[in-house]
Amino acid sequence: MAAACGRLVPRGAGIALPGRCFSLSGYRVSSGGKPPKFQPPPKPVIMDRKTRKEESRFLSPEFIPPRGRTDPLKYYIERKDMIQRRKVFNIPEFYVGSVLAVTTANPYASDKSNRFVGICIQRGGKGLGATFVLRNVIEDQGVEMCYELYSPRVQAIEVLKLEKRLDENLMYLRDALPEYSTFDVNMKPVPRQDHEEIPVNKVQVRMKPKPWSKRWERPKYNIKGIKFELPEHKMQAAQKWSQPWLEFDMLREYDTSKIEEKIRKELSEELGK
Amino acid sequence: MRLSVAAAISHGRVYRRLGLSPRSRLDLLRNLVTALVRYERIETPWARADEMRGYAERLIDHAKRGDKDERAMRMADFWLTEKDLIHKLFKVLAPRFQPHAGSYTRLLQIPSRDGLDRAKMAVIELKGNPLPPLARPRRLSDKTLLNQLLRGYRQDARPRGTPV
Repeated sequence: MAAACGRLVPRGAGIALPGRCFSLSGYRVSSGGKPPKFQPPPKPVIMDRKTRKEESRFLSPEFIPPRGRTDPLKYYIERKDMIQRRKVFNIPEFYVGSVLAVTTANPYASDKSNRFVGICIQRGGKGLGATFVLRNVIEDQGVEMCYELYSPRVQAIEVLKLEKRLDENLMYLRDALPEYSTFDVNMKPVPRQDHEEIPVNKVQVRMKPKPWSKRWERPKYNIKGIKFELPEHKMQAAQKWSQPWLEFDMLREYDTSKIEEKIRKELSEELGK
Repeated sequence: MRLSVAAAISHGRVYRRLGLSPRSRLDLLRNLVTALVRYERIETPWARADEMRGYAERLIDHAKRGDKDERAMRMADFWLTEKDLIHKLFKVLAPRFQPHAGSYTRLLQIPSRDGLDRAKMAVIELKGNPLPPLARPRRLSDKTLLNQLLRGYRQDARPRGTPV
């Protein structure tokens, strides 16, 4: 019977019923006595990891040109230079509120480089002049260092802790208690899975007594990350400066979705090469 | 003497200063937008019409998203002081301008106001309105005699192809 069926799987190929003749779709026609090569079943593609990556790809804010009357050629040329620099030097994804360690070149230091660890409180500038400010408290002295992302002096940017905060600008940490700005200089990087969402640190920061460098309770700053311990009448008085019509002023909106799409496509083409 | 040089320079400022304050400016423009949506053609000073144009077109862009959209409804609720016009905006104007990508309004200058101020006046209208058409400046078309003669001259002056 084994010889009768031409398309038979030979004995000992792992099927429970030996000698039975039946054809399976997964098996090739075997010519002669050679056993067909074992083909493992196809691996299932995990679609959600791929799709999530496509949607929430991070676009660094300095790529998005500001609204204005400048020639877009200027931003195009700058973007080309930024991409060139990114091909040579890795600028990781980070947000305001993440803890970074930056090593810069310093000709006067003993080992020619200088390392600073701090929390990113502000990301400013567009194009090649994009900067970020790191803050730390070293020996009871608050220190802020402003670095340019694309400067040739920076030798390494390492993200020790990747997280977001409730605000885009953490300048209020200057008036907060120093414990919220102290970070260990020899901190180890916090491990993180690739596909996890960026955690949002909803900490409410406690402030030093007034006066502050800016009146952070006013609605113009729109700060959500401070635990205001001011009396109620002071909070009500601050609302006097609120401008409720500003959210309905349609000409102030800047819709960047189409611009972002174009820039994302351009970046993925260039960096893929 | 001039106390602050910076206060007198307004390079790059796009918003005109109308009314008594920024709040008053928005209220003024809101009244004009409401009137435009109600009457579809209004006569106002040119500066106010020019400021209002941007807001009117953005309002129609928001309305095109549909009335189920929360943001569109809030914008329409703020900008239209007469609430029956919200229905007109979403049900009449949004479908009318759905095929167009932008520029839903037309702004034309008219002779200055008769009063003491001699203000520069303009008429602003929504395109596709049912009123009789305005006298728009006609651009020279190809069919005028002069253009036809010039076209013929250019064709004759062009070097002929290789003769057989």
